[in-house]
Amino acid sequence: MRWSGADVQIEKTDFVAIPSQDAERAAAFYGETLGLRSDEHSQYEFWAGDICLGIWEPAKMGMEFQPSKNGHVAFHVPDVAAAREELEGKGVTFNGETFDTGVCHMALFEDPDGNDLMLHNRYAPYSGDSAA
Amino acid sequence: MIDVERTDFVSVIVRDLERAKTFYGETLGIQPNTKAHASYPEFETGNLTISLRAEADHFTPSRTAIALRVPDVDAARTKLESVGVAFAGETFDTGVCHVAFFGDPDGNALMLHNRYALVGG
Repeated sequence: MRWSGADVQIEKTDFVAIPSQDAERAAAFYGETLGLRSDEHSQYEFWAGDICLGIWEPAKMGMEFQPSKNGHVAFHVPDVAAAREELEGKGVTFNGETFDTGVCHMALFEDPDGNDLMLHNRYAPYSGDSAA
Repeated sequence: MIDVERTDFVSVIVRDLERAKTFYGETLGIQPNTKAHASYPEFETGNLTISLRAEADHFTPSRTAIALRVPDVDAARTKLESVGVAFAGETFDTGVCHVAFFGDPDGNALMLHNRYALVGG
């Protein structure tokens, strides 16, 4: 398939930017509560597999902060129920019950700034045309 | 400690799925996952899957900006602007990278990004 459109040559995702009102609090959440690997060069960047999450404060760039109630980053965990229980034990807020979509488990939660996140585990094989 | 093994995808909610598919697949030219469910189209940036789903009610645009690497931010911005993509503000030079903020047709946050300085340098 030949790409059409504007041909901007997107090579990869460099990072996913997480807006925050308190970068220190956010860093503690992503690094300690979620246990993501911290970047060796930045105390506000954390890795989940191949994806770097970069915490930033929009107010410091003259931009308005609003929590992201969309754009859920889906963290793959081996057992959604177990991970949810552990995070709830640390005071993390989940939104609703854990879904079973028929191919995966999903549990929606928030970081301390109110940004939407997700625990995710697909248990169905990736054959055919099923969703992620 | 929970064991986050990887990022499976970022779920981006849109109001008009067909419009969004055209934008991600054709305007931005990101490779679609041909095996994805028709109601949940997926686009593969190489290391991150962008998973779309439609929701007309209670929609708020994503503030979780996905930073898409391009070889030349200015050139890519010019191309996208020529097909009607709106950018927010000027392109920043942070001292280590160029970054330009824009949105998909529903206003979900995206960036064009290119780091020109060596990491850790």
